[in-house]
Amino acid sequence: MVTKRRAGRPPEAYLPLPPATFHILLALADGELHGYAIMKSVTARSEGSVRLGPGTLYGSLKRLLAARLVEEGGERADPERGDERRRYYRLTQLGLSVVRAEARRLDAMVRAARRKKLIGVRPA
Amino acid sequence: MSAERIYRLLLRAYPPDFRAEYEREMVLLFRDQCRESDVRTIGFWAAVIWDIARSAPALRAEAWWTPGRENTRTIGGIMKLAAMLAVLVGVFGILNAMVEWGAALTGTTGGMHALALVLGVFASALLLGAGAAILRPTQRGRQAARLALLASLVMSVAARLLHPWMSIFSQLVGIGLPVAFLIALYLPRRASPAGA
Repeated sequence: MVTKRRAGRPPEAYLPLPPATFHILLALADGELHGYAIMKSVTARSEGSVRLGPGTLYGSLKRLLAARLVEEGGERADPERGDERRRYYRLTQLGLSVVRAEARRLDAMVRAARRKKLIGVRPA
Repeated sequence: MSAERIYRLLLRAYPPDFRAEYEREMVLLFRDQCRESDVRTIGFWAAVIWDIARSAPALRAEAWWTPGRENTRTIGGIMKLAAMLAVLVGVFGILNAMVEWGAALTGTTGGMHALALVLGVFASALLLGAGAAILRPTQRGRQAARLALLASLVMSVAARLLHPWMSIFSQLVGIGLPVAFLIALYLPRRASPAGA
């Protein structure tokens, strides 16, 4: 869970991010999205291993909005779906810094695992 | 009953503030899920229930600890009931100590026992005053209640030390009740860890 921090804290103060939060921020790095588009993006990127339900998604978005990592981008109908108006969400500058910091943290961990030959080598 | 109606019923697991803000969006998302899945399968509803079971309790807990939300009404109601109980217990405590005092006058009463009874009367009166102060929802009322509870607690502990034969019930009321009230008066004012 992302906890509320005081303004002015460095992005690293928000780490580590819960997997669902990281996936949501990663989806929003592509631009403004509504809830369903975030959900589809997360499912596609994780190849189905992470499936966000409405409760998990909007619970996380509520916390991200309160922590000012995400902001609302207004309501409009999805041109592809052409149905009811939907609320769009986008990353704030702080949100972008936090997702970058988390990506760097995960990258460092993966590199450490690779150095120890835990990944990236075929089992004998 | 349609799947959407069932889902709307299940959404009652979430706190009212959260529902007011996100219910429409969640139902829209649920409709999208219904279009792409077979709503008649157990797997679909298992995933829906798992999602609610995973997210609703945390959001309820956050709503409970967030000041100024609907939880303050609940806490206010509980505090009002508890304050009324404190007033009743205070009155009962004073009467009990006075009856005991009257009984003691007929027999042989040590100085320590008499002092413990006097302290018991004062502790009960302070508990009564604290209950009355809690019923006044002002900052000064809360401050007065805290002071009265603290003084009542000190007097009850002193009475217990002076009169070790104090009943378990009297100890629970005289010591347990002020401690519980002091915790309740301080806890809702703590900074909320939720909301983000």
